[in-house]
Amino acid sequence: MPLITDFVSRAGSAAQSLWEAGGQLLTPAVRIGVTGLARSGKTVFTTALVHHLMEGHTLPALRASAQGRLRRAGLAHQPDDAVARFPYEEHIAALIEQRRWPQSTTRISELRLELDYERGSRWRPGPASLALDIVDYPGEWLLDLALLDVSYREWSRRTIEASRRPDRAAIAGSWRAGLAELDPAAPADETIAERASNAFKAYLAALRAGPEAVATTPPGRFLMPGDLAGSPALTFAPLELKPDEPIKARSLAALMERRFESYKTHVVKPFFRNHFQRIDRQIVLVDVLAAIDAGPAALAELEDALDQVLLAFRTGRNSLWSSLFSPRADRVLFAATKADHIHHTSHDRLEALLRLLVARASRRTEAAGARVGAVALASVRATRETSVREGWETLPAVAGTPEAGERVGDEVFDGETEAAVFPGELPERPEDVLEGAIPPGSLRFPRFRPPRVDRGAFGRRARMPHIRLDRALEFLIGDYLL
Amino acid sequence: MSRRPRAYRLDDPDVVTVRSGDPPAEAPGAVVVTEEPLETIEAADGAVVPLGERRGLSWGGLLGGALGSLLLLGLGLALERFIADLLRTAPVLGWLALGLAGVALLALLAIVLREAFGVLRERQIERLREAAAEALAIRDHEAAKRVVAALAALYGDRRRFADSRARLAGWSDEIIDADDRLALAEREFLAPLDAEAKRAIATAARQVSLVTAVSPRAIIDVAFVVVAAVRLLRRIARIYGGRPGLLGFLRLARAALSHLTVTGGVAIGDSLVQQAVGVGLAARISAKLGEGVINGLMTARFGLAALAVCRPLPFVREEAPRLADVAGELLAGGDKEPPH
Ligand SMILES: Nc1nc2c(ncn2[C@@H]2O[C@H](COP(=O)(O)OP(=O)(O)OP(=O)(O)O)[C@@H](O)[C@H]2O)c(=O)[nH]1
Ligand SMILES: [Mg+2]
Repeated sequence: MPLITDFVSRAGSAAQSLWEAGGQLLTPAVRIGVTGLARSGKTVFTTALVHHLMEGHTLPALRASAQGRLRRAGLAHQPDDAVARFPYEEHIAALIEQRRWPQSTTRISELRLELDYERGSRWRPGPASLALDIVDYPGEWLLDLALLDVSYREWSRRTIEASRRPDRAAIAGSWRAGLAELDPAAPADETIAERASNAFKAYLAALRAGPEAVATTPPGRFLMPGDLAGSPALTFAPLELKPDEPIKARSLAALMERRFESYKTHVVKPFFRNHFQRIDRQIVLVDVLAAIDAGPAALAELEDALDQVLLAFRTGRNSLWSSLFSPRADRVLFAATKADHIHHTSHDRLEALLRLLVARASRRTEAAGARVGAVALASVRATRETSVREGWETLPAVAGTPEAGERVGDEVFDGETEAAVFPGELPERPEDVLEGAIPPGSLRFPRFRPPRVDRGAFGRRARMPHIRLDRALEFLIGDYLL
Repeated sequence: MSRRPRAYRLDDPDVVTVRSGDPPAEAPGAVVVTEEPLETIEAADGAVVPLGERRGLSWGGLLGGALGSLLLLGLGLALERFIADLLRTAPVLGWLALGLAGVALLALLAIVLREAFGVLRERQIERLREAAAEALAIRDHEAAKRVVAALAALYGDRRRFADSRARLAGWSDEIIDADDRLALAEREFLAPLDAEAKRAIATAARQVSLVTAVSPRAIIDVAFVVVAAVRLLRRIARIYGGRPGLLGFLRLARAALSHLTVTGGVAIGDSLVQQAVGVGLAARISAKLGEGVINGLMTARFGLAALAVCRPLPFVREEAPRLADVAGELLAGGDKEPPH
């Protein structure tokens, strides 16, 4: 059975690719997969990318831009009419005028940016255009990709096992207590299922330290239901199943299993198939600093979640066959976002940490023949660099406006005063962080408000500063703009 | 770990903010926050080496090519007639002419091959530099490995690098960061070549400054400067493994000149004139001597630009040579107090 459904889904996606390949003859399109868990900076990255290209800012490391070959860029009609449009104007206005970051994304949206450029090749000069398709979605949903190949039994086992960790005892307590009372073999009952599911959702929400923290335990829609809130496909929970006891028909466990499977078929798979199966270039955004801030356990969890998620992607070198029927991302860039939280003299260490975190995934990708890069970047640079001299000591620090409520040491900020922040020193050996060799409290990365930018002259839109966004772009789309 | 995270409010009266480059604040007991310019990061990342701009097929080039081919065709035709005539009237001379024509053809072929080879080699070096810059930009391991392998192949026939190649091969399977790997290759292969190229530039600069200081006429100055520049460019290209023929040489010269205009211009900037002759010994002794110094510096600058476009890697960890490294004596000479 799974073989047939798998075949059908493959045939479906092949047909879709063929259809899109036909469309590509008109305007070549590149699908950029902006991949990242919750709060990793996807929306800000996409907004900044569109901002710089649309306003025609020079991006020195993007070769086409440095050579003055980019003519014009504008938002065009998106390929998928059933998906909301990415609210670029709203986001950029919030960033520039109110100095406010975009809200956490609650639903999927899409945009197509059309670039007009001058070909740089000797043999085929002349104007050309390229469409960039980007999808923005809540990062929580990405977690569900890890469920695709897992059965209900296996998922239950893993989830319950993970909740046994000592540091989770307090959080998991009430859910685990309720779980112990549930009998998987009892007849299916809707109210019991709903109560179990609600308790599980409460556990998941508590697991996440706060709305600004990354979430690493699926199912993602339990945290960010989108328009599916309350639907049966979202009303299930893990149960304590005996390892080799079959699930009885019409039992509670059977009900849960069915819903888990329909969650996968009706929620996860369509999302994956429509938006991720066919990406040409992938950028994986990782908020390394926030994870360090949260401690080694959070970092290990992040590593694991990322690895699980990235397993679902197809990457590697394209042959003629695969480029038509199952295209894969042939370039994957891992990016540590929010590099503006630290002084650039530490960027190397941040990069080293990033590489350590994604080592497994990047080796796999490299082995498949895709090009892999790693970079520390800031889509929007919220700070200026400073050096602070206090007595005999000189510290490399960054200055900006910390968000209201952020604290460093004894200082609590109000969101208006500027401050120079020395966040501590990243370790020379990246492994130290994972091994917990860093004493707690020796690193602190407060969040900053978006920078104050001057309005450009002659009514032109201001230019948001960034760090290495141009390098990322060159890696992602530079070769399409030759 | 004594340096714990901390924050300094900028509106705190005990915190003084200054811009970098300002005189140090005299505020005893206060915390001084020095703002660094926004561009520091890009500067630290390293400027991308300007790439020879690829131009499309130009009409002028097409015209030149077509006219050249026509001329060659006409020449060939005339030659053919000439030899045929000769064979008819004086067969011995005719055979001789035929043999000579054959030799000429062979030589032409050899020249064309050499030119093509030179240009290809140069392209290869250029591409290597681009690939290295790209691998550095996004820390691409695999690309860095490929670049190092290509570099080793480029210097494959030089005996002096046998040890270096062996060492690098030993590292090839180890997990090293992209930039470290490139830095290793740079140290093994390019550091000695850099030193050699620097010496060549310094020698050329010294010669030019001496000769033009004593030469009686401006026209001789100009001729000597041009010849020295040409020789220098060829020399540097050879040091780094290029084998420029005429075409390759022209390409390189164009790249070097455009690099020069990007990085400072052939026209001598004010600061340079001041450094060289403002208070310098040379100009006080004689205007001619001052000119010699300026010509020497110009040659040195050109040499540095040539170095940048001939080197198969961007500067990774090695310092990029500065004017003072190759024309130090000219600059230093200018700074000394004149003897009384
Ligand atoms: N300083 C700085 N902060 C950033 C940057 N990018 C993102 N952030 C911070 O990270 C937060 C999350 O960024 P988003 O782009 O909304 O993250 P997301 O991945 O879209 O998150 P979800 O929509 O919840 O999945 C923002 O609110 C900012 O506080 C950056 O380049 N610099
Ligand atoms: Mg978002």
